[in-house]
Amino acid sequence: MSAGSFLFAGRPVPCRDGQSLAAALTEAGERAFRTTPNDQRRGMFCGMGVCQDCLVTVDGIPNRRACMTMSEDGQRVEMQVAYPVLEDIPPATTSPGAARILEPDVAIIGGGAAGLSAAIAARAAGAEVVVLDERKVGGGQYYKQSASHKPLDAQQAEGRDLLARARQSGAEIIGAVEVWGAFDGPLFLADAAGAALIVRPRCAIVATGAYERPRMVPGWTLPGVMTTGAAQTLWRSYRSLPGARVAVCGSGPLNAQVALELAAGGAEVALVGEAARAPWRAPWVALRALTADPGLVLKGLAMMRDLRRRGIPLRHETTLQAVRAQGTELCATFRGSSGVTTEVTVDALCMNDGFEPQNEILRLLGAEMRYDADVGHLRCTRDARMRTSVRSVFAVGDCAGLGGAPAARVEGTIAGRAAAAEAGYGDGYDLFAEERQLARHRRFQSSLWRLHNARPAPAETLARDTILCRCEEITLGDVMDGLQDSPGDLGTLKRATRVGMGRCQGRYCGPVAARLVAERTGKAVEDLSFFAPRVPVKPVSIAAILAAQEALGDGD
Amino acid sequence: MATDVLVIGGGIVGMVTATELARSGAQVTLIDAEINAGSTANAGSLHVQMQSRFMRLYPDQVPAIEASLPTYRAAAQEWERLEAEIGSVELVRKGGLMLAEDAAQLAFLEQKAAREARHGLQVELLDRPALDKIAPWLGPQIIGAELCHNEGKVNPLAANLRLRAAAEALGVTRVRDRITALAVAGRVEAHGVTGTYRADRAVVAASWGAGALLRDHGLTVPTQAEPLHMNITEPCAARIDQLIQHAERSITLKQFRSGQIVIGGGWPARDCGQARVPAVEMGSLLGNVALAARLVPAIAHVRVIRSWAGMNTTIDGASVLGPLPATDRIILAVPGDAGYTLGPLIGKWAAGCVLGTVERERIARFSPSRFAA
Ligand SMILES: Cc1cc2nc3c(=O)[nH]c(=O)nc-3n(C[C@H](O)[C@H](O)[C@H](O)COP(=O)(O)OP(=O)(O)OC[C@H]3O[C@@H](n4cnc5c(N)ncnc54)[C@H](O)[C@@H]3O)c2cc1C
Ligand SMILES: Cc1cc2nc3c(=O)[nH]c(=O)nc-3n(C[C@H](O)[C@H](O)[C@H](O)COP(=O)(O)OP(=O)(O)OC[C@H]3O[C@@H](n4cnc5c(N)ncnc54)[C@H](O)[C@@H]3O)c2cc1C
Ligand code: FES
Repeated sequence: MSAGSFLFAGRPVPCRDGQSLAAALTEAGERAFRTTPNDQRRGMFCGMGVCQDCLVTVDGIPNRRACMTMSEDGQRVEMQVAYPVLEDIPPATTSPGAARILEPDVAIIGGGAAGLSAAIAARAAGAEVVVLDERKVGGGQYYKQSASHKPLDAQQAEGRDLLARARQSGAEIIGAVEVWGAFDGPLFLADAAGAALIVRPRCAIVATGAYERPRMVPGWTLPGVMTTGAAQTLWRSYRSLPGARVAVCGSGPLNAQVALELAAGGAEVALVGEAARAPWRAPWVALRALTADPGLVLKGLAMMRDLRRRGIPLRHETTLQAVRAQGTELCATFRGSSGVTTEVTVDALCMNDGFEPQNEILRLLGAEMRYDADVGHLRCTRDARMRTSVRSVFAVGDCAGLGGAPAARVEGTIAGRAAAAEAGYGDGYDLFAEERQLARHRRFQSSLWRLHNARPAPAETLARDTILCRCEEITLGDVMDGLQDSPGDLGTLKRATRVGMGRCQGRYCGPVAARLVAERTGKAVEDLSFFAPRVPVKPVSIAAILAAQEALGDGD
Repeated sequence: MATDVLVIGGGIVGMVTATELARSGAQVTLIDAEINAGSTANAGSLHVQMQSRFMRLYPDQVPAIEASLPTYRAAAQEWERLEAEIGSVELVRKGGLMLAEDAAQLAFLEQKAAREARHGLQVELLDRPALDKIAPWLGPQIIGAELCHNEGKVNPLAANLRLRAAAEALGVTRVRDRITALAVAGRVEAHGVTGTYRADRAVVAASWGAGALLRDHGLTVPTQAEPLHMNITEPCAARIDQLIQHAERSITLKQFRSGQIVIGGGWPARDCGQARVPAVEMGSLLGNVALAARLVPAIAHVRVIRSWAGMNTTIDGASVLGPLPATDRIILAVPGDAGYTLGPLIGKWAAGCVLGTVERERIARFSPSRFAA
């Protein structure tokens, strides 16, 4: 493995081959990557390209996500200012690669557990398959692969094998491409490092996964506060620790797992704060999970044992109240079941309060959704073959509503076969075994989440000065005032307060704002469909749009 | 529900009309369907010079547009008065540039400028060295431009909020409803989906929805819904002061105070009916943004964070304003092209029609009687 270094704000930062800028910077103790218009500092938060808070300027080019940009020896990286100066941006020196127009039988957006499984199944039936993924290395969030390290454990090894099987299947797997546009057809527009990629498949399988729901408290935007998954990616994909001393909080099984992984990697875990009550206080739900999937329940019990062995305190009914900066450290306040507050001082605070599906492409294409109040997010309506309400568009894995990695794999297999059949390969029948497996995984998931607090915390209980919209720096108080002044729908609220108008396109504040409007107007959340998604589903450079226009010759 | 005046439509025209009337002491109810208002979707360009887009698309309307030039000049000026009254709308009046890439385009602009000067517009032609002083970020192929000093920009989100607050402070009652029929039986009776409203007078400021309401009153006003496309980028340092347009191609480009660049200029979107927001067309997104990238290459590494589509309303190249030929209890106020620019002036005049304070000859040109059957 080769090593090198780059300059950050003039200071040398060591980096390793295949290490993201965010990982190298975090390892070097650099947490603040940019400043906001209100002069606040921000750093890596989601670690997966969603929050847009990790922007840095690389070799003069602003708006690069440090979490998605690989470090290179000799790079010049600057903290991004709130308003990059146009004249300072160098003209492109290297022209991007040639545009490609692909017309496969099946296009799969997202190469995680669901997408790779779909690719293998569709290829096995004989269809020509293309998989597109924004990350350089496939595998998705569950399998989190590393470009340059051996698997850490069975989970990563299983991912390596799945990825290898997908490659061997003959599917074309294209990494580091961001799908930013989806249109009727379906037709997808993607950005491959400045080069345009246009995909017009006969069938499409959307497998874009989920992102994490944060626990919004005053201070959750401070550098060093990140999602639990971001910390996990730092360690699993790049072998960088989020800090020497960390705390993990929220609700859900990921928190304890990542606490253990970080501890095994050498971090000191000060606390795991879980909002839900302890499983032994909800024995019936625990029993149901046990009958659905004894293996996974045993895994969970082993996790609790390991936490105890390592001396990591796991506190149930314990919620984060606020975070503040204290020198280079973070001081996090928690409230326990008895109402007693405790403070912990850490280098990094990790939070995960459940998941939100990345369903923007599906909604853009017009796929029908319904609101699932139990988990607080939209689920995509699908038939038994994972077909959405849109012709030739399938949805699999967490993007269609949280289901977990085992279910994602089975759904992928079913959809892969069904999509291949629709494109004229095989008959797509004989999926009985898969359907039975899927039912079992789904039973397990529903009891698993009942052991945690899957319902989002009601927004009114938050402090008024809690930032709701990270991008536009809008507090809950601003939004409540906006609701007072101009009641109506979410669009009206957005125009009145700017909530959801920023770079992350409302991914964090949108669900909360939608629920607030629903409560205020008495309308069902499903009627609101959150913020209507529009192209681009993720910010895309004007250069990339120009490249797509040149490739298609459209709109002249 | 009974009031002195009903205002139907709550876009820029309806809101200005309502506040003007309320300020004079009238009891005003504003009824708005709250769907597809051009005022909530528009880009906030204050247009004064003739837009090449209209001249190309609707050559038959050019005489009407040309005759309206003094109105546009006055309308841009009216924004200054409005801002003084309701607070900052982020009004900037550094002019608008219309770019030329070749000698033919420059010659076209020269002729256009001469015509506009005759109507009292402050226009001049700039060569490239002169352009470099105010717009150094333009692409190298730009050889010159027409600068119209009367033009400018506002932030429509800020303006709409201010106006809404002003209306509320003045006691305007706002109702969300869609009017399906207007009748005059002594007083005006407006039938909505959820209620019936009675008043002495009504102002119809319902843009694309106006035509249908007037059919029963002997008028065929061709209010056409025109779905249009817009794009906005993430922020960068504010250096683009002017409103940018092109002599031949459809584009408007400018920068908000937030540092975001707004790109539009009349690219089409897909109509999804009056009750639904129009859908973005791929060709418009690609074509509109690619054109912006060619004209201002420095924005290549700024990212587009959103596109949207909204409903514009066209008529015949000129505003329609004034009482109906059949009854002066109903006043029609639809601004037509660049209607946000015109909004404050048309709204003020519409209120003036109700109050009898506007000189008839000033607005005679816009009379609805031109659409009488
Ligand atoms: C941060 C995080 C950490 C998690 N960790 C665990 C864990 O340790 N244990 C566990 O049991 N579960 C974990 N989960 C849940 C688990 O990841 C999912 O259940 C499982 O990965 C679902 O598989 P999937 O294929 O649906 O999605 P994913 O595995 O998330 O794959 C989706 C893929 O789509 C790609 N993608 C998304 N949008 C685009 C786009 N516009 N263009 C191109 N590519 C795109 C992404 O890069 C990603 O690779 C985690 C989830 C998250 C979000
Ligand atoms: C994308 C786009 C960009 C634009 N950019 C610019 C620009 O930069 N500069 C510029 O000057 N102009 C611009 N325009 C044009 C401008 O937005 C409109 O001309 C202007 O806003 C019209 O204002 P209005 O008050 O007449 O009507 P609108 O703002 O359209 O409001 C009319 C209201 O009436 C309601 N309504 C309709 N029928 C009924 C009914 N029967 N009952 C009750 N309510 C009803 C509607 O729901 C709507 O809320 C743009 C338009 C679009 C779509
Ligand atoms: S941390 Fe990079 S986008 Fe969220």
